[in-house]
Amino acid sequence: MIQVDDLCVRYGAATALEGVSLSVARGEKVALIGANGAGKSTLLNALSGMVPKASGSIRVEGRLAHVPEGRQLFPDLTVEDNLSLGAYRGGEHNPAWIYELLPELGRLRRQRAGSLSGGQQQMVAIGRGLMARPDVIAIDEMSLGLAPIIVQQLASRLSELNAQSGLTLLLVEQSARVALALCERAYVLETGRIVAQGTSAELRDSPFVEAAYLGSPVGAAS
Amino acid sequence: MRLDPRTLGIAALAIAGFAAAALLDESLLSVYVLLALTASVTIGVSLLMGHAGQVSLGHGAFYACGAYAAGILATHGAPTWLGLLLAPVAAAAVATVVGVPLLLLRGHHLAFATLAFHLISLSLISELSVTGGDVGLQGIPRLSIAGLTLTSVRSYAYLSCAALLLIVLVARNILGSRPGRALRALSSSEVAAASSGVAVGHYKLAVFALSAGFAGLAGGIYAFYMGYLAPGSFPVMLSIEYIVMATVGGLGKVSGALTGSTLVFLFAHGLSRVGTLSGMPSTAPIILSYAVYAVLLVSAVLFLPGGVVGGIAALGARTRAGKSLALTEPKGRTPSGEKPPEPATSEPVASKHGSFS
Amino acid sequence: MSAFLSYLIHGISLGCGFALIASGIIIIYRVTRVVNLAQGMFAVVAGFSAASVLDARVPHPLAELLAIAAAAVVGTLTGFVAIGKRGTSPQASLIATLGVGVLGYAVEVLIWGDQPRSFTGLLGSYELLGVDIAKQYLLIVPVTLFVFAGLELFFERTYAGKAMSACASNPYAAALQGIGVLRMGLYAFGLGGALGGVAGVLLTPLQPVSYDSDVSLFVNGFATAILAGLKRPVLALAGGLVLGVAESMVAGYAKASYQSSLALLLTLAILIAQAVRREALHTVEE
Repeated sequence: MIQVDDLCVRYGAATALEGVSLSVARGEKVALIGANGAGKSTLLNALSGMVPKASGSIRVEGRLAHVPEGRQLFPDLTVEDNLSLGAYRGGEHNPAWIYELLPELGRLRRQRAGSLSGGQQQMVAIGRGLMARPDVIAIDEMSLGLAPIIVQQLASRLSELNAQSGLTLLLVEQSARVALALCERAYVLETGRIVAQGTSAELRDSPFVEAAYLGSPVGAAS
Repeated sequence: MRLDPRTLGIAALAIAGFAAAALLDESLLSVYVLLALTASVTIGVSLLMGHAGQVSLGHGAFYACGAYAAGILATHGAPTWLGLLLAPVAAAAVATVVGVPLLLLRGHHLAFATLAFHLISLSLISELSVTGGDVGLQGIPRLSIAGLTLTSVRSYAYLSCAALLLIVLVARNILGSRPGRALRALSSSEVAAASSGVAVGHYKLAVFALSAGFAGLAGGIYAFYMGYLAPGSFPVMLSIEYIVMATVGGLGKVSGALTGSTLVFLFAHGLSRVGTLSGMPSTAPIILSYAVYAVLLVSAVLFLPGGVVGGIAALGARTRAGKSLALTEPKGRTPSGEKPPEPATSEPVASKHGSFS
Repeated sequence: MSAFLSYLIHGISLGCGFALIASGIIIIYRVTRVVNLAQGMFAVVAGFSAASVLDARVPHPLAELLAIAAAAVVGTLTGFVAIGKRGTSPQASLIATLGVGVLGYAVEVLIWGDQPRSFTGLLGSYELLGVDIAKQYLLIVPVTLFVFAGLELFFERTYAGKAMSACASNPYAAALQGIGVLRMGLYAFGLGGALGGVAGVLLTPLQPVSYDSDVSLFVNGFATAILAGLKRPVLALAGGLVLGVAESMVAGYAKASYQSSLALLLTLAILIAQAVRREALHTVEE
């Protein structure tokens, strides 16, 4: 589904990613854990083509929807418009099926996206990503700034989608707790390199990961 | 006394300038005078645009201010040397007063405000009787300094060269001093400059007033050289010409301003002459000079951000350094477990403003 | 009374023209973050083109439409220069539009000479309350309203319009959805060109255009855009009317030559007041 080999991304003279290799199979739920500045957003931007690669290879089978850090909605547009623009690349513009999936958005459809709460915005962002009918959805920092219970709700929705339609998930998180709870496998990214990988169970037991990433509570601005 | 390249450069400029004034044929001297005056104003514009990032679409108005100040004083009985002396002072004073509110604005707002200033100034000049209104100010007496009356074009060539050198010296000294280094900080980031304790507003105003003073001095000489002034001598296009010259030459550098004004002025003037050849339509001079300004400006701003001077410097640097560019390698964990510094930003290259920022 | 009415009507018509130019400036600015200094030039090109096309005996509505199309093309070309090259900063784009404006001078003089030109719009006049109102005035208002309604419809109800608004709202997110931000920017410039063109063909019968008319048109257009807060085009309509009527009154009752300074001073006052408020906020935070 996603195959990244020896990826290298540079900004001018600075190297953001070096020798990154990872793979995600169809239907998997994989996490990418890393602190601020580790290069997680850069990796997603490289996957979605927003940032050029200096060397290495990226292969994505099917459509990838990138739900960016900080939601990045269109604040002046309505929820409905935000959602329907998710289908810009092709497909049904009508977000009716999103409202079935996420009924709360249906109630908010006419509201200005900028006026919503963080959790609601995150839901819109994910909904917008889903509108593209992607094969894989990559979400950057879903839990940032959100209350744990909201994060839990979002996580279970994503799990359902994954179970029902085989939607592949790539979750990028600072908070390892959330990521490892939802996902089966994970990679750990540190200053542009993969420093650890394995199943969630393995990583949860790893003292290294525990010290660096499981120390802080979920949802706090860690 | 150190013989650094800059001092040599100024000395070379002085020698070349005075030699040209002495040796050039009479017919070419009028071009010389105008070029020297234009370069004087352009230095100020270049400093303003290069060090404070402020686009001034109104420097022609300061040129006019100096000219009219000198002209009005001289036609009302004041000694002409006083008029010349007060021309830059008047322009700088106006700039200080106007600059206080104006410099609160940034970017395109400031560009518009300076344009507005130029237009309002033109309006005022056309209305007031003391400036002679639309018809203009006639009969400005010839300049006489210390008993010497300047009547020939050559004498004004010497004078304008001297003025240009004075301006170059002042500009260079300002740039090299502590306030000057602060200006350079300004040019990289206003936020950084403010947080380092530099009184951003004061310096911006100082540069603004100084650049106006340069323009005012040039304007004063212009008044005595021409003998008459009219609003039509100072159209908005004049301000735009200064911008073209500053941009083409390289913003923020005296050498850039000099290079740019010489290149653009001579090129435009040359094409203008071509346009007056027999067989060319009467509108040819306008078309050619506007086309030159436009093409040079757009080419410079899109393809040569450092101007001609910057381009040459970059070429030199690249030849000296070969192909190597310092690459910062991210290190692994240091033995003590500290995290090494991260790359400056994790923001995507296609930043928050899409592809045009 | 009749003088007042005629000033009012003239002012309203002027105001509609300003509003159209302002809407072009606003749309381009919102989508590309660039202030288009060449906006007045689009109106001038349209005015000249309409005059030439009419001279060639092309009938009325077609001539104006051709002129507007020409302005749209010029607008798109301006866009190419301003934003076509990757990595051009908004500041550099601003200067690039200045350059294009000056090039416009050269081309205008080349094609049409340096003398002012006009053409006759709607001939004849109606009488209202004892005042002869030229029919051209009565054409301007409905056309302007129609155009603004069209703009609202476009941005609020069409998918393409929403995509363009999205670019204005968040270019990064727009690019993520596959919206071509550069392409939208060019459309915005083209649309701005067309809007300037409409202003040009409406105003030229009232006041002849010449190659340097663009400065006053831009100044007034930008003033109106500032009054509208550089946000929604619809607000420009209100701002334009206020400015147009105010200028007309000043020209009628005071001196004509003060009319341009009015727009300038008004805009400056607003800009500086906004800046002062921003500074005050900052000092409070410190």
